[in-house]
Amino acid sequence: MIRHFDRPLFFCVLLLCGIGIAMTYSATFSTIALADYWQRQLVFTILGAIALVTAALFDYRHLELLAQPSYILLMASLLAVYLVGEVKSGAQRWLNLGVTDVQPTEAGKFLLIVFLAWYLSRFQDRIRRLPYLLGVIVLLLLPLGLVYVQPDLGMTVTLAFISGTLILISGVRLLHILLGLAAGAAAWPILRGTLQDYMVERIEIFLDPGSNPDAAFNVQQALISIGNGGWIGMGWAEGSQNQLHFLRVRHTDFIFSVMAEELGFIGTVMVLLLLFFVIWRLVRIADLAQDQFGRLITLGVAALIFFQTFVNVGMNLAILPVTGMTLPFLSYGGSSLVSMMVAVGLAQSVVMRHRKMDFA
Amino acid sequence: MDERTAHTATTTSIVVRLTLAATFFVFCFRLYSLQIVSGATYQEQAAVNRLREIDTYAPRGVIYDRNGEILARNRPSFVIAVTPADLPPDDLNTDIDEQRVALERLLAVLEANTDPEMAIRIAEVMFLHLGREDFRNTVESAGLSLSFRLVDLEVLKQDDEGREILEEVPTLIPDLSEPLPIGGLLALLERAVAIGTQGSSYKPISVLELVDRERAFQVAEETYQLRGVQVLQKPVREYPYRELAGHVLGFLGPIPKLAADNYTDRGYEDPNEPVGLNGLEYTYQDSLRGLPGKRLVEVDILGRESRTVNIVREPEPGLNLNLSLDIRLQEVMHNALARQLEETGAPHGVALAMDPRNGAMLGLVSLPSYDNNIFSEGLGEEYQALEVEDDTRRPLYNYAIGGLYPPGSTFKLVSATGALAENVITPYTTLVDRGPIFLPNFFFPDDPTQAQQFVSWNHKLNILHGSMTIVEGLGLSNDIFFYYLGGGYPDFMVGLGSERLAKWMRLFGYGELTGVDLPGEVQAFVPDEQWKRLTKAESWTTGDSYNMSIGQGDVLGTPMQVLVSTAVVANGGYVVKPQFVQETVDTQNRLQWQYEPEIGERLPVDPGLLAFVQKGMWHAVNGPYGTSIDSRVDGITVAGKTGTAEFCAYDPEIQDCTDRDHEGNLPFHAWYTAYAPYEDPEIVVTVFVYSGGEGSTVAIPVAQETLHAWFHDLRP
Repeated sequence: MIRHFDRPLFFCVLLLCGIGIAMTYSATFSTIALADYWQRQLVFTILGAIALVTAALFDYRHLELLAQPSYILLMASLLAVYLVGEVKSGAQRWLNLGVTDVQPTEAGKFLLIVFLAWYLSRFQDRIRRLPYLLGVIVLLLLPLGLVYVQPDLGMTVTLAFISGTLILISGVRLLHILLGLAAGAAAWPILRGTLQDYMVERIEIFLDPGSNPDAAFNVQQALISIGNGGWIGMGWAEGSQNQLHFLRVRHTDFIFSVMAEELGFIGTVMVLLLLFFVIWRLVRIADLAQDQFGRLITLGVAALIFFQTFVNVGMNLAILPVTGMTLPFLSYGGSSLVSMMVAVGLAQSVVMRHRKMDFA
Repeated sequence: MDERTAHTATTTSIVVRLTLAATFFVFCFRLYSLQIVSGATYQEQAAVNRLREIDTYAPRGVIYDRNGEILARNRPSFVIAVTPADLPPDDLNTDIDEQRVALERLLAVLEANTDPEMAIRIAEVMFLHLGREDFRNTVESAGLSLSFRLVDLEVLKQDDEGREILEEVPTLIPDLSEPLPIGGLLALLERAVAIGTQGSSYKPISVLELVDRERAFQVAEETYQLRGVQVLQKPVREYPYRELAGHVLGFLGPIPKLAADNYTDRGYEDPNEPVGLNGLEYTYQDSLRGLPGKRLVEVDILGRESRTVNIVREPEPGLNLNLSLDIRLQEVMHNALARQLEETGAPHGVALAMDPRNGAMLGLVSLPSYDNNIFSEGLGEEYQALEVEDDTRRPLYNYAIGGLYPPGSTFKLVSATGALAENVITPYTTLVDRGPIFLPNFFFPDDPTQAQQFVSWNHKLNILHGSMTIVEGLGLSNDIFFYYLGGGYPDFMVGLGSERLAKWMRLFGYGELTGVDLPGEVQAFVPDEQWKRLTKAESWTTGDSYNMSIGQGDVLGTPMQVLVSTAVVANGGYVVKPQFVQETVDTQNRLQWQYEPEIGERLPVDPGLLAFVQKGMWHAVNGPYGTSIDSRVDGITVAGKTGTAEFCAYDPEIQDCTDRDHEGNLPFHAWYTAYAPYEDPEIVVTVFVYSGGEGSTVAIPVAQETLHAWFHDLRP
């Protein structure tokens, strides 16, 4: 079983984490209040690696039993947030557990992946029939709606993307897709009215940077940082945009720009290559999976990592609007890193058990 | 897995992999276009972000006296400034104005709301930035009222012929002595920042100047998190001897608006750069200034310098000036003159000392003087004037070169030399003082009642000097002798007459600037026949020659000119240019420039004849009944000449001259001019006391003490 543990995937993930620590150091060492962040990120990486291995050792097939409780837990926590959640900077996203505040949606991604993987594999043959499709969509819209009203557009879109990917992959009839699109188009005017101001503003800034110079400032500084890198970059911990703090939120949302400035085109393409290799490897695991449940779980994980990468890099490259989404394995942040490692661990769990009988 | 599912799975994995590859390549393409294609543009922008060109002050040259005493130096001082470009911009989406909040916090750190003195100082700096009009408008539009003071401001205007002339215009300027409330200061600061943003928004705008080291560090700490606030170093000029050499050294101030273009042409970029506005600081401004350096520094997003990337140009320190002035002698002269002024209540006076051999100035005192340090801490032209404007004696005025007075009997040196040189008299010609002489009226020569009476000073004391040669004439300062010599007498002798008097007056340097290296020197005309006809529409009379020969009438000169004319006698007939700065040296004390004494051609007088003028001056000090025996100095032979000059300060209100005594006589200026040693002169001293009274008794002690100090106390 251990034989099938995907070592290239594991080492690539560790390599990305290592680069993340190095870039966190570069982005924070000169700020006294943040100077120990790279050490923290190192600890998070070790914890994440342990979590990854633990998740890999855990047989993913047991998760099938937890699918329905997962959904119930997801709904319960989201309702709790809705009713008694803590409000921070205008959004009700946190639950106060006495010890610490938690954001249920962080774990909610996994709960949803597990539940959908179970549902879609359970009704694998019937998903082409409209009632089953509508069933999953209704079950999906409930948590999405609750996340949307928090408000948390980024998470809503993330969850929708993962769910949509999984549903599409399970095989949906073209007619149903078209119907879905039509329904979406019809609902758009209503949805649009419910968009929070900050969401509209971010989109406006993206479309017309001149409308708010201060907010567009950081996007512009990110572009300057990236462009400043040139072919080989300014060298690690030498980027002027980064070191002189022209780039804001550089250790989290804009760590990609830090890399681009300090490692240059060549280094950044290498890092992108690593990231996409990880996703590629996950898709390969999905192909190898011995059952549809494992396949869907792996694809859910791949979709999650891909979507976060896509949105974060797209934002850094100014081809997508600004969202507070982190770059998997590279951005500073414990919960994000550990959850990504757990996700990879789940996929490892799938690949380790892809032979029905393992005689090795 | 049935076949259809398997087929779907294959399709799916192909689609997914294609999507991945496509995304990867889109990202790489975008990266390529940003980093490689547009890389240069972004690198440039990154450089603009982080690099600033900063002017570095070149230390201004130090001024030393002849013994190496420091007369002017630079004291380190700090400036609190804001850089408009680095201030947080106003986020239009919030109700608060971020920039205003930042400026408000800065004012709070500076304690402008609690410390009235701080509020006044900030308002003063803002006044400098904004100017009168803008300052007033800004404060008033903030809903505050200002009180004003009326001062006369010099304004450049064009006269009828299109020439530029300075005109004094009474102007209201804001009274800055009352602290402004914080709202007013904030409005001013915002206005200054707004103006700064229009220009180079990376240029720091000073908020508070003349901050000492301790306070500067404190502010630096407290404002560390305030974006755009900087603490800069800026030296301030210091004059350790304060008012002792105020008129010689002058002072610094921001470039005057009237001369702004001139300074711009000379390469001055900062309109508030302190430049010399008076004295040697003005004359030698370009040498003292050096050349400000330029540094390329890297700044972080808060505008703080992190390191120097490149020194574009090293600052060239200004050159040091070595003066011939002796500050110890200056002090003696200052104290003696001040004491004499105080005793007599005379409003102002001058004491000068110079080496007659080369024109090296040893001392210049013009009282009242002023402490030039107040200008280093000052407020620009308008308020500089204000500080001392209240003093009606006009301390800013350098009377030594800016005041024109009748030279009185000191002018007899000119008429005596002229008369000898032109053979009007010989050294042995005797003329007799038999009392007042009467000059027949030109139109009624036979009517003695119309004749004009000319007296000598001694007649009032019932003394007759009897017969005398030029030596006694000078020694006793007998006026009758000089009337004859200057204007002659009908049927008795031919005098010098107006043409030759004017000629010799010019030869002695009157009517021209002495050329001393100080600004503000004035020159008088030389009265002659043509001048009188043109200005007074009258013809020259013998009486005019009489008056001219004793330095009265229309003869005018500055104390500096009297000094130079004395030097001519002392050095055997050479007009020298008075000069303070003898050499300039760089910071390594290497000689950069040395003054070559400018000595005119020898006057067309035989040295043997001039010796009799010298002898006359010797007689005044050392001879029997000499006029200035009180100026003798132990062990040194002094030669001197007194002067008492009647003057009329016309007051239009009473339509007469002021300060007449009870008999209606005009008041007198007191002069004394001397040199020593008689045998080999090395110092000339001229003392002038405005309205000092008759007989030079006020002036002589000043000269005596100066000479005594020079030959005894200050000799090594």
